[in-house]
Amino acid sequence: MKALGRVLIMAEMHGRDLTRRHAALALLVALPLAFYLASVGSGKDSIVAGGVGMAFAVSGATLFSVLSSAEVDQRLVLGGYRPADLLLGRVLCLGPLGLLIGVGFSLLMTLVSHPARPGLVFLGVAMVAMQSIPFGLAVGVAVPKDLEGTLVLIGVVGLQMAADPTSVIAKVLPFHGPQQVIQAGIKAGTVGGPILLSAAYALGLFIVARILVGRRVGIARHESIV
Amino acid sequence: MLQLVASGITKRYRDITILDGVGLTAQGGEIVALTGENGAGKTTLMRICAGLVRADSGTVQVGGRIGYCPQIPGVFELLTADDHLVMFGRGAGIGRAESLRRGHAILEEFGYPLHERAVTRDLSGGTRQKLNLALALLGDPGVLLLDEPYQGFDRGTYVNFWDHCRNWADSGRAVIVVTHMLAELERADRIVELEAHPSRRAHS
Repeated sequence: MKALGRVLIMAEMHGRDLTRRHAALALLVALPLAFYLASVGSGKDSIVAGGVGMAFAVSGATLFSVLSSAEVDQRLVLGGYRPADLLLGRVLCLGPLGLLIGVGFSLLMTLVSHPARPGLVFLGVAMVAMQSIPFGLAVGVAVPKDLEGTLVLIGVVGLQMAADPTSVIAKVLPFHGPQQVIQAGIKAGTVGGPILLSAAYALGLFIVARILVGRRVGIARHESIV
Repeated sequence: MLQLVASGITKRYRDITILDGVGLTAQGGEIVALTGENGAGKTTLMRICAGLVRADSGTVQVGGRIGYCPQIPGVFELLTADDHLVMFGRGAGIGRAESLRRGHAILEEFGYPLHERAVTRDLSGGTRQKLNLALALLGDPGVLLLDEPYQGFDRGTYVNFWDHCRNWADSGRAVIVVTHMLAELERADRIVELEAHPSRRAHS
Protein backbone atom coordinates (compact mmCIF):
# COMPACT_ATOMS: atom_id res chain seq x y z
CA MET A 1 0.00 0.00 0.00
CA LYS A 2 2.85 2.38 0.83
CA ALA A 3 4.40 1.76 -2.59
CA LEU A 4 1.07 2.47 -4.27
CA GLY A 5 0.74 5.69 -2.24
CA ARG A 6 4.16 6.84 -3.43
CA VAL A 7 3.33 6.04 -7.07
CA LEU A 8 -0.01 7.87 -6.82
CA ILE A 9 1.62 10.96 -5.35
CA MET A 10 4.26 10.94 -8.09
CA ALA A 11 1.51 10.67 -10.71
CA GLU A 12 -0.40 13.54 -9.11
CA MET A 13 2.64 15.80 -8.96
CA HIS A 14 3.72 15.06 -12.52
CA GLY A 15 0.16 15.79 -13.59
CA ARG A 16 0.29 19.17 -11.83
CA ASP A 17 3.67 19.92 -13.35
CA LEU A 18 2.46 19.08 -16.86
CA THR A 19 -0.78 21.01 -16.63
CA ARG A 20 1.26 24.12 -15.86
CA ARG A 21 3.11 23.67 -19.16
CA HIS A 22 0.16 24.58 -21.37
CA ALA A 23 2.17 26.15 -24.14
CA ALA A 24 4.66 23.30 -24.44
CA LEU A 25 1.88 20.71 -24.42
CA ALA A 26 -0.09 22.61 -27.05
CA LEU A 27 2.98 22.80 -29.30
CA LEU A 28 3.67 19.11 -28.84
CA VAL A 29 0.15 18.23 -29.95
CA ALA A 30 0.22 20.79 -32.76
CA LEU A 31 3.29 19.22 -34.37
CA PRO A 32 1.78 15.84 -35.39
CA LEU A 33 -1.51 17.57 -36.09
CA ALA A 34 0.34 19.75 -38.57
CA PHE A 35 1.93 16.64 -40.16
CA TYR A 36 -1.47 15.12 -40.61
CA LEU A 37 -3.23 18.21 -41.92
CA ALA A 38 -0.37 19.01 -44.29
CA SER A 39 -0.48 15.55 -45.84
CA VAL A 40 -4.22 15.00 -45.74
CA GLY A 41 -4.56 15.81 -49.45
CA SER A 42 -2.06 13.10 -50.42
CA GLY A 43 -4.34 10.20 -49.51
CA LYS A 44 -4.82 7.82 -46.65
CA ASP A 45 -1.09 7.64 -45.82
CA SER A 46 -1.66 10.89 -43.98
CA ILE A 47 -3.26 8.74 -41.25
CA VAL A 48 0.05 6.95 -40.78
CA ALA A 49 1.88 10.30 -40.66
CA GLY A 50 -0.54 11.67 -38.08
CA GLY A 51 -0.75 8.47 -36.05
CA VAL A 52 2.98 7.78 -35.83
CA GLY A 53 3.75 11.49 -35.57
CA MET A 54 1.66 11.54 -32.42
CA ALA A 55 4.64 9.86 -30.77
CA PHE A 56 6.18 13.34 -30.74
CA ALA A 57 3.40 14.62 -28.50
CA VAL A 58 3.41 11.82 -25.94
CA SER A 59 7.11 11.02 -25.84
CA GLY A 60 7.84 14.76 -25.74
CA ALA A 61 5.55 15.23 -22.74
CA THR A 62 7.27 12.24 -21.10
CA LEU A 63 10.70 13.70 -21.83
CA PHE A 64 9.71 17.03 -20.23
CA SER A 65 8.42 15.15 -17.24
CA VAL A 66 11.73 13.31 -16.80
CA LEU A 67 13.91 16.36 -17.35
CA SER A 68 11.89 18.64 -15.06
CA SER A 69 12.71 16.40 -12.12
CA ALA A 70 16.33 15.63 -12.98
CA GLU A 71 17.59 17.68 -10.02
CA VAL A 72 15.05 16.21 -7.61
CA ASP A 73 14.87 12.51 -8.38
CA GLN A 74 17.88 11.38 -6.38
CA ARG A 75 16.77 13.43 -3.42
CA LEU A 76 13.35 11.79 -3.61
CA VAL A 77 15.04 8.39 -3.53
CA LEU A 78 17.05 9.51 -0.50
CA GLY A 79 13.74 10.60 1.03
CA GLY A 80 12.18 7.14 0.70
CA TYR A 81 11.06 6.68 -2.91
CA ARG A 82 12.25 3.76 -5.03
CA PRO A 83 13.50 4.49 -8.57
CA ALA A 84 10.60 2.37 -9.88
CA ASP A 85 8.11 4.66 -8.06
CA LEU A 86 9.43 7.60 -10.06
CA LEU A 87 8.90 5.79 -13.36
CA LEU A 88 5.55 4.22 -12.53
CA GLY A 89 4.19 7.54 -11.28
CA ARG A 90 4.96 9.08 -14.66
CA VAL A 91 3.39 6.14 -16.51
CA LEU A 92 0.24 6.52 -14.41
CA CYS A 93 0.08 10.24 -15.15
CA LEU A 94 0.96 10.12 -18.84
CA GLY A 95 -0.93 6.94 -19.79
CA PRO A 96 -4.42 8.49 -19.59
CA LEU A 97 -3.13 11.74 -21.10
CA GLY A 98 -1.58 9.86 -24.04
CA LEU A 99 -4.76 7.86 -24.60
CA LEU A 100 -6.84 11.03 -24.50
CA ILE A 101 -4.65 12.69 -27.13
CA GLY A 102 -4.73 9.47 -29.16
CA VAL A 103 -8.53 9.26 -29.09
CA GLY A 104 -8.77 12.89 -30.21
CA PHE A 105 -6.35 12.27 -33.08
CA SER A 106 -8.06 9.05 -34.15
CA LEU A 107 -11.46 10.70 -34.10
CA LEU A 108 -10.24 13.56 -36.26
CA MET A 109 -8.50 11.24 -38.74
CA THR A 110 -11.54 8.96 -38.95
CA LEU A 111 -13.88 11.85 -39.66
CA VAL A 112 -11.59 13.46 -42.23
CA SER A 113 -9.87 10.52 -43.95
CA HIS A 114 -12.45 7.70 -43.59
CA PRO A 115 -10.15 4.70 -43.03
CA ALA A 116 -11.53 1.26 -43.99
CA ARG A 117 -11.27 -0.09 -40.45
CA PRO A 118 -11.35 2.82 -38.00
CA GLY A 119 -11.18 0.49 -35.00
CA LEU A 120 -7.69 -0.57 -36.01
CA VAL A 121 -6.65 3.05 -36.50
CA PHE A 122 -7.81 3.77 -32.94
CA LEU A 123 -5.89 0.71 -31.72
CA GLY A 124 -2.72 1.63 -33.63
CA VAL A 125 -2.76 5.21 -32.41
CA ALA A 126 -3.40 4.03 -28.83
CA MET A 127 -0.38 1.74 -29.19
CA VAL A 128 1.71 4.69 -30.38
CA ALA A 129 0.61 6.60 -27.28
CA MET A 130 1.36 3.76 -24.89
CA GLN A 131 4.71 2.94 -26.44
CA SER A 132 5.74 6.59 -26.49
CA ILE A 133 5.79 6.71 -22.69
CA PRO A 134 8.54 4.11 -22.10
CA PHE A 135 10.31 5.53 -25.16
CA GLY A 136 10.26 9.04 -23.66
CA LEU A 137 11.35 7.66 -20.29
CA ALA A 138 14.28 5.76 -21.82
CA VAL A 139 15.41 8.77 -23.85
CA GLY A 140 14.99 11.10 -20.87
CA VAL A 141 17.17 9.03 -18.55
CA ALA A 142 19.72 8.10 -21.24
CA VAL A 143 20.08 11.63 -22.66
CA PRO A 144 19.25 13.92 -19.72
CA LYS A 145 19.52 17.23 -21.62
CA ASP A 146 16.63 19.15 -23.21
CA LEU A 147 18.14 19.76 -26.62
CA GLU A 148 19.84 16.40 -27.07
CA GLY A 149 16.80 14.48 -25.82
CA THR A 150 14.45 16.38 -28.15
CA LEU A 151 16.77 15.76 -31.10
CA VAL A 152 16.78 12.02 -30.37
CA LEU A 153 12.96 12.03 -30.30
CA ILE A 154 12.75 13.97 -33.55
CA GLY A 155 15.37 11.73 -35.17
CA VAL A 156 13.76 8.41 -34.22
CA VAL A 157 10.13 9.37 -34.84
CA GLY A 158 11.03 11.27 -38.02
CA LEU A 159 12.98 8.27 -39.32
CA GLN A 160 10.08 5.97 -38.53
CA MET A 161 7.76 8.22 -40.54
CA ALA A 162 10.16 8.68 -43.44
CA ALA A 163 11.53 5.15 -43.86
CA ASP A 164 9.87 2.67 -46.20
CA PRO A 165 7.84 0.44 -43.82
CA THR A 166 9.21 -2.69 -45.53
CA SER A 167 12.84 -1.66 -45.02
CA VAL A 168 15.04 -3.12 -42.32
CA ILE A 169 15.54 0.27 -40.69
CA ALA A 170 11.78 0.81 -40.32
CA LYS A 171 11.38 -2.65 -38.79
CA VAL A 172 13.97 -2.09 -36.06
CA LEU A 173 12.62 1.32 -35.03
CA PRO A 174 10.27 1.44 -32.01
CA PHE A 175 7.01 2.38 -33.71
CA HIS A 176 7.01 -0.23 -36.47
CA GLY A 177 4.36 -2.35 -34.68
CA PRO A 178 1.82 0.47 -34.24
CA GLN A 179 2.58 1.69 -37.77
CA GLN A 180 1.62 -1.75 -39.15
CA VAL A 181 -1.62 -1.75 -37.15
CA ILE A 182 -2.54 1.70 -38.48
CA GLN A 183 -1.71 0.49 -42.00
CA ALA A 184 -4.02 -2.48 -41.44
CA GLY A 185 -6.74 -0.01 -40.52
CA ILE A 186 -6.30 1.77 -43.87
CA LYS A 187 -5.72 -1.12 -46.27
CA ALA A 188 -5.20 -4.64 -45.03
CA GLY A 189 -2.75 -6.64 -42.98
CA THR A 190 -2.37 -8.76 -39.89
CA VAL A 191 -2.24 -7.15 -36.48
CA GLY A 192 -1.32 -9.99 -34.07
CA GLY A 193 2.41 -9.85 -34.78
CA PRO A 194 2.64 -6.03 -34.69
CA ILE A 195 0.75 -5.91 -31.39
CA LEU A 196 3.17 -8.41 -29.85
CA LEU A 197 6.15 -6.53 -31.30
CA SER A 198 4.84 -3.26 -29.88
CA ALA A 199 4.25 -4.78 -26.44
CA ALA A 200 7.74 -6.30 -26.44
CA TYR A 201 9.28 -3.00 -27.50
CA ALA A 202 7.37 -1.11 -24.80
CA LEU A 203 8.44 -3.60 -22.15
CA GLY A 204 12.04 -3.52 -23.36
CA LEU A 205 12.13 0.28 -23.31
CA PHE A 206 10.66 0.35 -19.81
CA ILE A 207 13.30 -2.12 -18.60
CA VAL A 208 16.04 0.01 -20.18
CA ALA A 209 14.58 3.11 -18.46
CA ARG A 210 14.39 1.25 -15.13
CA ILE A 211 18.03 0.14 -15.35
CA LEU A 212 19.27 3.60 -16.35
CA VAL A 213 17.23 5.45 -13.75
CA GLY A 214 18.50 3.04 -11.11
CA ARG A 215 22.07 3.94 -12.06
CA ARG A 216 21.36 7.65 -12.20
CA VAL A 217 19.40 8.11 -8.99
CA GLY A 218 20.26 5.04 -6.95
CA ILE A 219 21.81 5.79 -3.57
CA ALA A 220 24.27 3.96 -1.34
CA ARG A 221 22.50 2.47 1.67
CA HIS A 222 24.74 2.95 4.66
CA GLU A 223 25.17 0.57 7.57
CA SER A 224 23.36 1.50 10.76
CA ILE A 225 25.25 2.38 13.90
CA VAL A 226 24.21 -0.21 16.46
CA MET B 1 25.81 8.88 20.92
CA LEU B 2 27.46 8.82 17.49
CA GLN B 3 25.00 9.43 14.70
CA LEU B 4 27.44 9.59 11.80
CA VAL B 5 30.75 7.83 11.32
CA ALA B 6 32.52 8.22 7.97
CA SER B 7 35.98 6.72 7.83
CA GLY B 8 38.71 6.29 5.25
CA ILE B 9 36.65 8.01 2.54
CA THR B 10 38.49 8.23 -0.76
CA LYS B 11 37.04 9.64 -3.94
CA ARG B 12 38.73 10.25 -7.27
CA TYR B 13 37.40 11.65 -10.51
CA ARG B 14 39.75 10.33 -13.20
CA ASP B 15 43.26 11.34 -12.09
CA ILE B 16 42.10 13.97 -9.60
CA THR B 17 41.85 12.88 -6.01
CA ILE B 18 39.09 14.77 -4.22
CA LEU B 19 39.17 12.96 -0.90
CA ASP B 20 41.93 10.72 0.36
CA GLY B 21 41.17 8.69 3.46
CA VAL B 22 39.00 11.38 5.03
CA GLY B 23 37.01 10.78 8.20
CA LEU B 24 34.07 12.61 9.75
CA THR B 25 32.07 11.88 12.86
CA ALA B 26 29.14 13.61 14.52
CA GLN B 27 27.29 12.91 17.73
CA GLY B 28 23.65 13.45 18.44
CA GLY B 29 23.27 16.92 19.97
CA GLU B 30 26.34 18.26 18.20
CA ILE B 31 26.80 20.91 15.52
CA VAL B 32 29.81 20.21 13.33
CA ALA B 33 31.01 22.93 10.96
CA LEU B 34 32.72 21.57 7.86
CA THR B 35 35.03 24.15 6.37
CA GLY B 36 37.81 24.32 3.81
CA GLU B 37 38.94 26.07 0.70
CA ASN B 38 37.14 25.74 -2.62
CA GLY B 39 37.78 22.33 -4.11
CA ALA B 40 38.58 20.72 -0.76
CA GLY B 41 35.78 18.19 -1.30
CA LYS B 42 33.24 19.40 1.29
CA THR B 43 30.24 18.91 -0.97
CA THR B 44 31.57 15.58 -2.21
CA LEU B 45 32.00 14.38 1.37
CA MET B 46 28.48 15.50 2.26
CA ARG B 47 27.05 13.75 -0.79
CA ILE B 48 28.94 10.58 0.10
CA CYS B 49 27.62 10.75 3.67
CA ALA B 50 24.10 11.22 2.28
CA GLY B 51 24.57 8.23 -0.04
CA LEU B 52 24.15 10.29 -3.22
CA VAL B 53 27.70 9.58 -4.37
CA ARG B 54 29.56 6.32 -3.85
CA ALA B 55 33.03 6.53 -2.35
CA ASP B 56 35.85 4.62 -4.04
CA SER B 57 36.76 3.29 -0.62
CA GLY B 58 35.82 3.86 2.99
CA THR B 59 32.65 3.32 4.98
CA VAL B 60 29.78 5.41 6.28
CA GLN B 61 27.56 4.43 9.19
CA VAL B 62 24.54 6.41 10.26
CA GLY B 63 22.36 6.34 13.35
CA GLY B 64 19.07 7.38 11.81
CA ARG B 65 17.32 8.87 8.87
CA ILE B 66 19.38 11.36 6.82
CA GLY B 67 18.09 14.82 5.99
CA TYR B 68 20.13 16.39 3.20
CA CYS B 69 19.90 20.01 2.12
CA PRO B 70 21.94 20.63 -1.06
CA GLN B 71 23.65 23.90 -1.84
CA ILE B 72 21.47 24.42 -4.91
CA PRO B 73 17.78 23.76 -4.24
CA GLY B 74 16.68 20.65 -6.11
CA VAL B 75 12.98 21.36 -6.59
CA PHE B 76 10.33 21.15 -9.30
CA GLU B 77 10.08 24.58 -10.90
CA LEU B 78 6.35 24.32 -11.58
CA LEU B 79 5.20 22.91 -8.25
CA THR B 80 4.29 24.89 -5.15
CA ALA B 81 5.78 24.53 -1.69
CA ASP B 82 2.71 22.54 -0.59
CA ASP B 83 3.14 20.15 -3.53
CA HIS B 84 6.75 19.56 -2.47
CA LEU B 85 5.82 19.01 1.16
CA VAL B 86 3.19 16.42 0.23
CA MET B 87 5.55 14.66 -2.18
CA PHE B 88 8.57 14.52 0.15
CA GLY B 89 6.34 13.68 3.11
CA ARG B 90 4.92 10.65 1.31
CA GLY B 91 8.45 9.36 0.71
CA ALA B 92 9.04 9.50 4.46
CA GLY B 93 5.74 7.66 5.06
CA ILE B 94 3.86 10.75 6.24
CA GLY B 95 0.31 11.48 5.10
CA ARG B 96 -0.76 14.59 3.21
CA ALA B 97 -2.28 16.52 6.12
CA GLU B 98 0.59 15.75 8.48
CA SER B 99 3.20 16.66 5.85
CA LEU B 100 1.55 20.03 5.37
CA ARG B 101 1.22 20.61 9.11
CA ARG B 102 4.87 19.78 9.81
CA GLY B 103 6.12 21.55 6.70
CA HIS B 104 4.19 24.74 7.38
CA ALA B 105 5.48 24.79 10.96
CA ILE B 106 9.09 24.60 9.71
CA LEU B 107 8.52 27.16 6.96
CA GLU B 108 6.84 29.59 9.32
CA GLU B 109 9.89 29.46 11.60
CA PHE B 110 11.92 30.76 8.68
CA GLY B 111 9.41 33.42 7.69
CA TYR B 112 8.39 31.68 4.47
CA PRO B 113 5.49 33.53 2.75
CA LEU B 114 2.99 30.65 2.97
CA HIS B 115 0.11 32.79 1.73
CA GLU B 116 1.68 33.26 -1.73
CA ARG B 117 1.10 29.73 -3.08
CA ALA B 118 3.55 30.47 -5.90
CA VAL B 119 5.35 27.82 -7.91
CA THR B 120 9.02 27.61 -6.94
CA ARG B 121 10.16 29.15 -10.25
CA ASP B 122 8.61 32.42 -9.10
CA LEU B 123 10.29 32.42 -5.68
CA SER B 124 13.43 34.33 -4.76
CA GLY B 125 16.61 32.33 -4.20
CA GLY B 126 16.44 32.73 -0.43
CA THR B 127 12.77 31.72 -0.25
CA ARG B 128 13.43 28.69 -2.38
CA GLN B 129 16.29 27.78 -0.06
CA LYS B 130 13.92 27.90 2.92
CA LEU B 131 11.77 25.30 1.20
CA ASN B 132 14.89 23.29 0.44
CA LEU B 133 15.74 23.29 4.14
CA ALA B 134 12.19 22.37 5.18
CA LEU B 135 12.26 19.35 2.84
CA ALA B 136 15.45 18.13 4.53
CA LEU B 137 13.78 18.39 7.93
CA LEU B 138 10.38 16.98 7.04
CA GLY B 139 11.10 13.31 7.71
CA ASP B 140 12.42 14.00 11.23
CA PRO B 141 16.01 12.97 10.41
CA GLY B 142 18.57 11.90 12.99
CA VAL B 143 21.42 13.28 10.87
CA LEU B 144 21.16 16.65 9.15
CA LEU B 145 23.62 17.32 6.34
CA LEU B 146 23.36 20.99 5.36
CA ASP B 147 25.53 22.15 2.48
CA GLU B 148 25.71 25.94 2.74
CA PRO B 149 21.95 26.00 3.23
CA TYR B 150 21.69 29.73 3.89
CA GLN B 151 22.45 30.90 0.32
CA GLY B 152 20.26 33.91 -0.37
CA PHE B 153 19.01 34.26 3.21
CA ASP B 154 18.65 37.80 4.48
CA ARG B 155 20.67 38.77 7.54
CA GLY B 156 17.91 38.08 10.07
CA THR B 157 17.08 34.65 8.65
CA TYR B 158 20.78 33.81 8.54
CA VAL B 159 21.24 34.57 12.23
CA ASN B 160 18.07 32.63 13.03
CA PHE B 161 19.42 29.73 11.02
CA TRP B 162 22.18 29.15 13.55
CA ASP B 163 19.67 29.34 16.42
CA HIS B 164 17.66 26.68 14.63
CA CYS B 165 20.77 24.54 14.23
CA ARG B 166 21.14 24.66 18.01
CA ASN B 167 17.52 23.65 18.48
CA TRP B 168 17.85 20.77 16.05
CA ALA B 169 20.98 19.57 17.82
CA ASP B 170 19.33 19.94 21.23
CA SER B 171 16.57 17.65 20.03
CA GLY B 172 19.19 14.91 19.62
CA ARG B 173 20.13 15.32 15.99
CA ALA B 174 23.65 15.44 14.60
CA VAL B 175 23.92 18.61 12.53
CA ILE B 176 26.72 18.98 10.00
CA VAL B 177 26.91 22.35 8.23
CA VAL B 178 29.22 23.18 5.36
CA THR B 179 30.12 26.83 5.81
CA HIS B 180 32.51 29.53 4.69
CA MET B 181 31.15 31.99 7.24
CA LEU B 182 34.08 32.16 9.64
CA ALA B 183 32.31 34.69 11.89
CA GLU B 184 29.71 32.09 12.78
CA LEU B 185 32.08 29.22 13.51
CA GLU B 186 31.77 29.87 17.24
CA ARG B 187 28.17 28.68 16.95
CA ALA B 188 29.43 25.19 16.10
CA ASP B 189 30.52 22.67 18.73
CA ARG B 190 33.30 21.38 16.56
CA ILE B 191 35.06 22.48 13.38
CA VAL B 192 36.39 20.04 10.81
CA GLU B 193 38.60 21.60 8.16
CA LEU B 194 39.22 19.85 4.85
CA GLU B 195 42.25 20.68 2.75
CA ALA B 196 42.35 20.34 -0.99
CA HIS B 197 44.31 17.28 -2.06
CA PRO B 198 47.65 18.16 -3.75
CA SER B 199 46.45 16.53 -6.99
CA ARG B 200 43.51 18.96 -7.02
CA ARG B 201 45.77 21.95 -6.46
CA ALA B 202 47.95 20.83 -9.36
CA HIS B 203 44.93 21.03 -11.68
CA SER B 204 43.63 24.38 -10.48
